[in-house]
Amino acid sequence: MAEQHEEHHEQHDHMNIPKYIGIFAILVVGTILTYLTSFWDLDSIFTGANTLLALGIAFTKMTFVMLFFMHVYWSPRLIWLAAIGSFFWLAIMFAYTMQDYLTRGTGTFSG
Amino acid sequence: MNAQTAITEGHVDAPKGNYLTNGSTLASWLLTKDHKRIAIMYLISVSAFFMMGGLYAATIRLELLTPASDMVETATYNKVFTQHGILMIFFFLIPSIPAILGNFLLPLMIGAKDLALPRINLISLYIYWLGGGLTLFALMQGGVDTGWTFYTPYSTTFSNSFVMFVGLGIFINGFSSILTGLNFIVTIHTMRAPGMTWFRMPLFVWAHYATSLVMILGTPVVAITVLLLAIERATHVGIFDPSIGGDPILFQHMFWFYSHPAVYIMILPGMGVISELISNFSRKKIFGYEFIAFSSIAIAVFGFLVWGHHMFVSGQSIYAGMVFSFLTMVVAVPSAIKMFNWTATLYKGSISFDTPMLYAIGFMGLFLIGGLTGLFLGSMGLTVHLTDTYFVVAHFHYVMVGGQVIAYLGGIHYWWPKMTGRMYSEFWGKISAMLVFVGFNLTFFPQFILGYQGMPRRYAAYPEELQVLNIFSTAGASVLGIGLIMPAIYLTHSLIFGKKAEDNPWMHPGLEWRTTSPPPTENFDVMPVVTWEAYEFGEESGLDLEGAKRRDAATIA
Amino acid sequence: MSTHETSDKFVYHEPGLQHQFEDMGQQEESVSIGMWMFLVQEILFFGGLFTAYLVFRSKYPMAFAAGSNHLDAFWGGLNTLVLIVSSLTMALTVYYAQKNNRSMQVIMIVLTMFFGAAFLGVKAIEYTDKYNHGLIPVAGLNKKIKDDKTAHSTGHEKPCWEVDHNAPAVEHPNPRGEFQWTDCSLVKLAQDKNYLTESEKTGYFVKDETGAAKIDPDKFRDKVRIFFFLYFVMTGLHALHMVVGLGLMLWLLWTAFRGHYTSEYYMPVEMSGLYWHFVDIVWIFLFPLLYLLGRHFLAAH
Repeated sequence: MAEQHEEHHEQHDHMNIPKYIGIFAILVVGTILTYLTSFWDLDSIFTGANTLLALGIAFTKMTFVMLFFMHVYWSPRLIWLAAIGSFFWLAIMFAYTMQDYLTRGTGTFSG
Repeated sequence: MNAQTAITEGHVDAPKGNYLTNGSTLASWLLTKDHKRIAIMYLISVSAFFMMGGLYAATIRLELLTPASDMVETATYNKVFTQHGILMIFFFLIPSIPAILGNFLLPLMIGAKDLALPRINLISLYIYWLGGGLTLFALMQGGVDTGWTFYTPYSTTFSNSFVMFVGLGIFINGFSSILTGLNFIVTIHTMRAPGMTWFRMPLFVWAHYATSLVMILGTPVVAITVLLLAIERATHVGIFDPSIGGDPILFQHMFWFYSHPAVYIMILPGMGVISELISNFSRKKIFGYEFIAFSSIAIAVFGFLVWGHHMFVSGQSIYAGMVFSFLTMVVAVPSAIKMFNWTATLYKGSISFDTPMLYAIGFMGLFLIGGLTGLFLGSMGLTVHLTDTYFVVAHFHYVMVGGQVIAYLGGIHYWWPKMTGRMYSEFWGKISAMLVFVGFNLTFFPQFILGYQGMPRRYAAYPEELQVLNIFSTAGASVLGIGLIMPAIYLTHSLIFGKKAEDNPWMHPGLEWRTTSPPPTENFDVMPVVTWEAYEFGEESGLDLEGAKRRDAATIA
Repeated sequence: MSTHETSDKFVYHEPGLQHQFEDMGQQEESVSIGMWMFLVQEILFFGGLFTAYLVFRSKYPMAFAAGSNHLDAFWGGLNTLVLIVSSLTMALTVYYAQKNNRSMQVIMIVLTMFFGAAFLGVKAIEYTDKYNHGLIPVAGLNKKIKDDKTAHSTGHEKPCWEVDHNAPAVEHPNPRGEFQWTDCSLVKLAQDKNYLTESEKTGYFVKDETGAAKIDPDKFRDKVRIFFFLYFVMTGLHALHMVVGLGLMLWLLWTAFRGHYTSEYYMPVEMSGLYWHFVDIVWIFLFPLLYLLGRHFLAAH
C-alpha cells in the first residue's frame, strides 16, 4: 500500500455555520473600517499612516479568508509553506525593485 | 515478469507490449495521458525548434565571416539574432530536459504509474504547440527585431515588427512551463513508491523539484510583463515611455525577475542529468548527496535575488547594483559545491568513457569556464567594459550550450535505450561527442577575446582587425553543427537498425532500470518497494553484477 | 528487496478515483497541492502588476491620489462586500457538500454565482462611467462628445488647481474620445505642504519664461493616465478571473445538481472554493490600493 495519505474529512468538523458567519462578520467590519478611516487625515500622526492602516486591514482580512474559508489553519505544513512562501517571493520582488528606485540619486554617486 | 528478474537476467524478452506499441492510431498519441508518450512528442517538437534556432545561428555565423554587413542587411540581422534567441531560449532550452527527460523519467525514478496529473501534462503539451505555433506564424510573417529581451521603449513604440504576436506566443508558452512545474512538484510530494524517501531519490528528481519551484514562482512574472508590453504597444499609454512619465527600467526589472531564474530553469535539470551520469560511469555513489540536493534548492532560491546584474548599466541605482553584484558572487557558491562534489565522485571511481560520460565530462569543463566568466561579468568594474560585448555572448553560450545542451545530449544518449528499447552506435556517439566539444570551444572561446577587445554584440558589422577570430568562430560553428546533426541521424537510424537494448544496459540501481526497455504503459508490472539508498552500485541493491560480467565475457569471446 | 502485487482488475475503486493513484487520500492530497501551486503562480502573476503599481505610486503619489479620489469608493466598497458575501456562500457550499446536502449545495452555488455576477455588473457600471467621463487611458476609447464651440468659452481660463470639488461634473468636449484630466488641485496642495517627491518635482512642472516651475496640466494628466491604466489592467484582469470563476461555478452547479458530490468525494467543490477565495483576496487588496489611498487629502479640505 502506498505511503499513508491523510484524508482530511475530519478537519472540517472544526468549522460550522455560526463560525463561518462569524468570520464573515469580521470581514464586513474590516471593510467598513477601511472605508471610513480612509477619509481621516492620519498622516498628521506620521507620514504614510493611512496607507499602513489600509494595508494592515487588508492583510488581516486576507488572513481570515485564508485561514478559515480556505481551511489553511487545518491544512498540512506544505500548504502553509506554499501560502507563506508565495508572499515571501512577492516581498522579494517588491523590495528588490524598490531598493533601486529608492536609492537613485542618493549618496556619493548621485548627480 | 516481475522487477526482480528484470535486473538479474537482463535478457531481452520475447516481444511484449510496451508504451510504444500500446495503441498505434494518431488519436492514441494525440490524446494520450501516458507521460512517456507525451515526452516523446515533446522530443520531436523540441528538436524541431532546436533545428530552426540552429539555422538562425548558422546565418549569424555566416554573416560574421566578413566585417561588413554584406550577407544580410542590419535590419534583417536584428531579426535573425532575435529569433535565434527566442526560439532557443523559450522553445528549446527551457522545456528540453524537463519536458522530455523529466516527463519520461520522473514517475519511473520514484516508482509511480504516471505523473500525478496526466491530463494537465497533456494540456501542457498542447499549450506548448499553441505558443510555438503562434510564434512561428509571427516569424513567418516577418518576425521581430527587438532582441529576445524586448527592451522598451523600442519594443513598445518604435519597432515595426510583430512584437505582439511573438509576445503572445511566449505568454502562452509560459503556461506550458508553469503546468509542467506544478505537475512535478505534486508528483514528487505524493507519488513516491513505498520506501522511496526524499533522501533516496535520484538527484535528477531533486534537480527537477528545484526547477519546478523556479518555474512556478518566476514564469507568471514574465507572463504579466509580456502582457503589459503587448497592451502598451497597442494603446501607447506610456508606462514604459519616459517621455510621458513612464519608466523603461521597470520593464527590465520585471523582465529579468523571471529571465534570470529562467537560466536556472535551464541549467538545474542539466545538473541533475550530470549527477546521474557521473555517478553511473564512475560506478560510485555520488559524493555529498545532501549537499548536491540542497544546493539545487539554494540555486533556485538565490537565483531570484540577482536579476539586477543584467541591468548594471541600464540606469538603475549604483547601490542596487552593488547589492546585486554581491549576491551574484553568492549564487555561484552552490554551483561550485556541485562541481566539487562531482569531482570527488570521480576520484577513485571506476571510470568508463561511454558516450554519455564524454558529454558529462565535457559539461564539467565547459560549465566551469562559463560559470567563472559569469563572475567576471558580475563584478561591477569589469562589467562596464564587458557589457553588451561578445564576452557576454561567449559566457552565456558556455553555460547554455556547453552546459545545458551537452547535458541534454548526454541524457538523451544515456536514457535512449530505456526510451526506445534500442542501442545507438557507440562509435558514432563518441565521434559526435568529440566533434561537439571541439567545435564548441572553437566557436565560443575566441568570442571571449573578441568581447574583451570590444566587439559589440548584436552588430552585423565589426572592425576589420577582429575578422580572424570571427573566422575561427564560424569554422568552429560548422564543426559544432556537424557534431549536433550527427546524433539526429544515428539516433534515428538506431530506431530501426539499432541493437535491442536490455532492461539495464548501464547496470544502474535506479528504479527506471528495473523495468523493461521500453517500459510498459503502466511503468512497472509490480510496484517496487525501495529498501536501498540511492546510487548503491553493489549487489545489496539487487544488481546482478556477476551476471553482467558473464554476459560481457560471452560477447567478447 | 520485496515486491507486492497490485492488480487494477481486482481492487475496488472508489468512485472518482483516477487510475494513477493508489487511493483517494493520495488523489486528494495531489489535487490539493496542485491547486495551491496554481494559486502560488496566480499570486506572482498579480504580483507583477502590484510591483508596477508600487513603483509608480512611489514616484507620483499625488497623481495616484487624484485618480483614487475620482473613483467611486461607494461602488468599490459595495463590490467588496458583495465579494465577501460570495466568499461566505462559497465556503458554505463546501460545508454542505461535506455534509452530503445536495439541495443546499446547489442553492449556495447559485447564490455565489448571483453575487459574482452582481460584482461584474457593478464593474460594468463603473467602467461605463469612466467611458462617459473620458477616463479610459486609451485615445479613442472614450465617449466622443462633439465640440460645441459656442459653449465653455469664458475668455479667461482658470488655473487647473482651482476646481470646485462639490460642483456637479460637467461634460467637456471630447471629439476624439481621448483621456481627459483637468484637475490638478492635489499638486498645488502638495506643493504648498512640500509633499512632492523628486520625480514629481520634475514630472508635473515646466519652466515658464522666468525659469520658475509652473504646473503643467498636460504633464500631470499623463501621470494620472498611468494610474487609470493600472486601474483598468488590474481590475480588468481581476474581472477576467471572476468570469473564469463564474464558468467554474456553472460546471460545479451542473455536477452538484447531478449529485456527484458526497461526504466521501467533494474535492472539486473544495478546489473551486480555493480559486474563488483567491479571487476575493485579490480584490481585498485592490480596493484600498486603488480606491482609498489618498482620499484623505481631499476629505480634509
